[in-house]
Amino acid sequence: MGRFLDLLKTGPISGFRLRTKLLLLALTTLALPWAGCQYAREMESVLRENEQQSLLAVTTTIAGSLKGRQELLFRADSLPASEQANDPRDITPVVLSGAPLLDGRADEWDQDARSLVRVAGPGGDGLRLFAATHERRLYLAMIVRDNRWVFDASDLTPLDSASIGDRLWLAFDDKRGGQQRLFFGSTGPGAVHARRIETLEYGRETAIDEPRIQGVWQRARDGWVLEIGVPLSMVGQHLGVLVDDRDRRGTPRTSYGTLEASDLRAVGRLIAASPDLNDHLRQFAQPGVEITVASSTGALLTRLDAPALPGDYTRMRGFLPRMYRLFLDGGAIPRAVSEAERAGKAEALTSRAARGTPEAALFGGRYKDSVIVAAAAPIYSADGKRIIGVIQLAQTADRWLTLRDQALTRLLNLTLFVTLFAVGAAFWFAGRMTLRITRLGAASETALGREGSVSRVLPEADAPDELGDLSRSFSSLLGRLDEYTGYLRTLAGKLAHEIRTPLTIIRSSLENLESEAQASNGMGENAKVYIARAREGSERLGAILTAMGAATRVEEAIAHSERHRFDLGALVRSTTDAYGGAFPNRRFVCEVPAERLEINGAPELVVQMLDKLVDNAVDFSTDGATISIVLRAGDSHAELDVTNPGPPLPPEAATRLFESLWQSRAESGTRPHFGLGLYIVRLIAEFHGGSAQAANLPDNSGAVFTIRLLR
Amino acid sequence: MKKTIAIVEDERAIRDNYAAAFSREGYAVRGYPNRRDAMAAFAARLPDLAVIDISLEDEPEGGFELCRDLRGMSPELPIIFLTARDSELDAVSGLRLGADDFLTKDLSLAHLIARVNALFRRVDALRRPPEEKQVIRRGALTLDSERMSVTWNSEVVLLSLTEFWIVYALTKHPGHVKNRQQLMDAANVVLDDNTITSHIKRVRRKFQVVDPAFDAVHTVYGMGYRWVE
Repeated sequence: MGRFLDLLKTGPISGFRLRTKLLLLALTTLALPWAGCQYAREMESVLRENEQQSLLAVTTTIAGSLKGRQELLFRADSLPASEQANDPRDITPVVLSGAPLLDGRADEWDQDARSLVRVAGPGGDGLRLFAATHERRLYLAMIVRDNRWVFDASDLTPLDSASIGDRLWLAFDDKRGGQQRLFFGSTGPGAVHARRIETLEYGRETAIDEPRIQGVWQRARDGWVLEIGVPLSMVGQHLGVLVDDRDRRGTPRTSYGTLEASDLRAVGRLIAASPDLNDHLRQFAQPGVEITVASSTGALLTRLDAPALPGDYTRMRGFLPRMYRLFLDGGAIPRAVSEAERAGKAEALTSRAARGTPEAALFGGRYKDSVIVAAAAPIYSADGKRIIGVIQLAQTADRWLTLRDQALTRLLNLTLFVTLFAVGAAFWFAGRMTLRITRLGAASETALGREGSVSRVLPEADAPDELGDLSRSFSSLLGRLDEYTGYLRTLAGKLAHEIRTPLTIIRSSLENLESEAQASNGMGENAKVYIARAREGSERLGAILTAMGAATRVEEAIAHSERHRFDLGALVRSTTDAYGGAFPNRRFVCEVPAERLEINGAPELVVQMLDKLVDNAVDFSTDGATISIVLRAGDSHAELDVTNPGPPLPPEAATRLFESLWQSRAESGTRPHFGLGLYIVRLIAEFHGGSAQAANLPDNSGAVFTIRLLR
Repeated sequence: MKKTIAIVEDERAIRDNYAAAFSREGYAVRGYPNRRDAMAAFAARLPDLAVIDISLEDEPEGGFELCRDLRGMSPELPIIFLTARDSELDAVSGLRLGADDFLTKDLSLAHLIARVNALFRRVDALRRPPEEKQVIRRGALTLDSERMSVTWNSEVVLLSLTEFWIVYALTKHPGHVKNRQQLMDAANVVLDDNTITSHIKRVRRKFQVVDPAFDAVHTVYGMGYRWVE
């Protein structure tokens, strides 16, 4: 504490005014909001950690419920060796949240690489196959690069070899283990449905419509596009397509695709979730939680989208909350990330889970400040030795963001208010304190009057605090000073009085001695000289005593003076004439207005004042100097200048010259000086409602004393 | 028979010195250090003249009381205040109590003896019929230098010895300016300017008591005073 106070006195803010210092101290309350922010951050990270842990627990629980339920995860009850290397002919449909529009346009398809199967055909031709599931249907888009799209002839049966144009074969296992082979052929762009070839009696073949499998065939920029929808219930474990490309109707075909070209057998697997998986997962559905199940290889099996959150995260609007967030978001909260980045992070989580590590993570959401909590856990086979899939739950953390924002806004509003209040209070207090100190300082500065009189009434004397104490100790100090000044002022008079008695003893003894000696005629010459010297000394002592008591006698004379109107001009003129005789070594010049200049006062005091001024002028000038006495009539005052050539006044003289017992000169001559002459001048001037001032002549060649007397 | 002078003074050295001086002049001197002793002696026998200090031992104003008591016992007894106190107030108080003179201890013994002699002369003169040749007349003023009495328009103006001598010096040569030094010499005193001024002021006031229009003492600033008829 002491060091702190020292710092206040000598530290970097020591040069500031008290008010600024207190204000700076008050600003330290700004640490309150900062501490609040720290606390909120801490709280938030704990909340987040909890959220992750609980989400991970839920994920693990769901994963446990799926343990060994391969038939739920995958469409067929026995998915052959899913750990086998992926066959490039495998079809892995993406899970769509809405049914795609079958319009023969490929551009709206999610260009997800995982669902893409590419088969190159001859001569730069090729097939790109996109697969997707929604609800209980499988959707396929086949984008074929073909320099010429050859239609079937419209007037012939589709089985007539001459009428056959470009064809697309779809083959799959059915649930009973048989092979279904269907083809699409079109006489023009537009809606198509699948047809199958059936062998009738006598080996006659015919094409029968399969109305459950429909699609749209359209021309594309460099070939054609066929989009179809297939009920998943029809499809078994394998599925494939084959393009029969012909350059002209009836010409030999060029075949490429994922079917065995010889017998049109499907060899590529259809890896998709069982339709019952969603029903199973739906029982775990919670608002705001998205559930995703993937195969152990990372292929997405299904995604159960989050039902809408009842109250979504609403950001606090306004300036202050924005400022608070600025305070808070010091990197603790992940930044908003792009869709691809978020997908990448989710995938990384999934792949770690596929290696057997359940894990939870946080990452940035769709917009700034929104955070997603995700947890992934592996799904094990019944024997617990194999990982058959991965389940991931994702949840936006917006709920507790809202909570945090609200709590913080309340907290920060409160602390801001408290801080403002503290600063305001400190400012008010500092201002008041400064004012009081300034007042006390000003009063104590003026308390000591020019003539040494002391005003003992100071402000704040009634205040109960330290300033009051200070004021009171000032007052007692001033009181003591007053007593001391008073003692000094009366000292000369008292001293003169006290010395007078022993002086009288000396003097009367000397006189007796002389008389005795004369009577008896018994004193030698030497003794006479000594007695004369002793008398001379005692007379000088007497003169000194008279001079010492002069001020007291003048004060007394002033107290007993009566005022009457008299002509100051005549007085100054006749007095100046007299000075010529009294000081033959000086020249006196007198200027007095021609008309009468009457003042109301005591002429004998004015004469005495003039005597003192002239004494002073004579003392400071040399023989032959000219002393000028000039009287002027002012509006309210008569002004009297007494000017003498001589040394300039010392700088401090201007304020102290007219004080009692002050003198600037070294002792000279035989006349005693007690610095009382000009004090008497001032007393008399003030008695006449005026003032006394002294100044150097402009060229420093002498001094001028100016007395103003009220007319 | 020798005239008796009583000195009431608490400072033994001063008392003895004054006593020696008066004895040399042929007076019988009795000294008292305080008011009680003095009053006890005065009750038995009054002196012919009393010289009194104002502060006496434990009584700062003892001299004033003594003066009052003494004046009560004898209206004619000359009383001189001789004191270290030189304030205007003390002088006024002392003279108002009926003292014939108020002197400060600055006064030399010779001057003091001159005064004492003068006062004794006056006492003697008062016992004789007035002699015309001692009387100066200046208009309304009549001044008897032996009896040291002054009348203005036939009314008595009571002046102290110092004041009388000042008036005497002024009226001896009316119209002539007497400066301070001359007045001091005439009054056998050494006084400073303010004291002279006070004396002049008191003189004027005393004349104004019997004649409010009195304006015979003029101040010549820087020079002194003169009597104008």
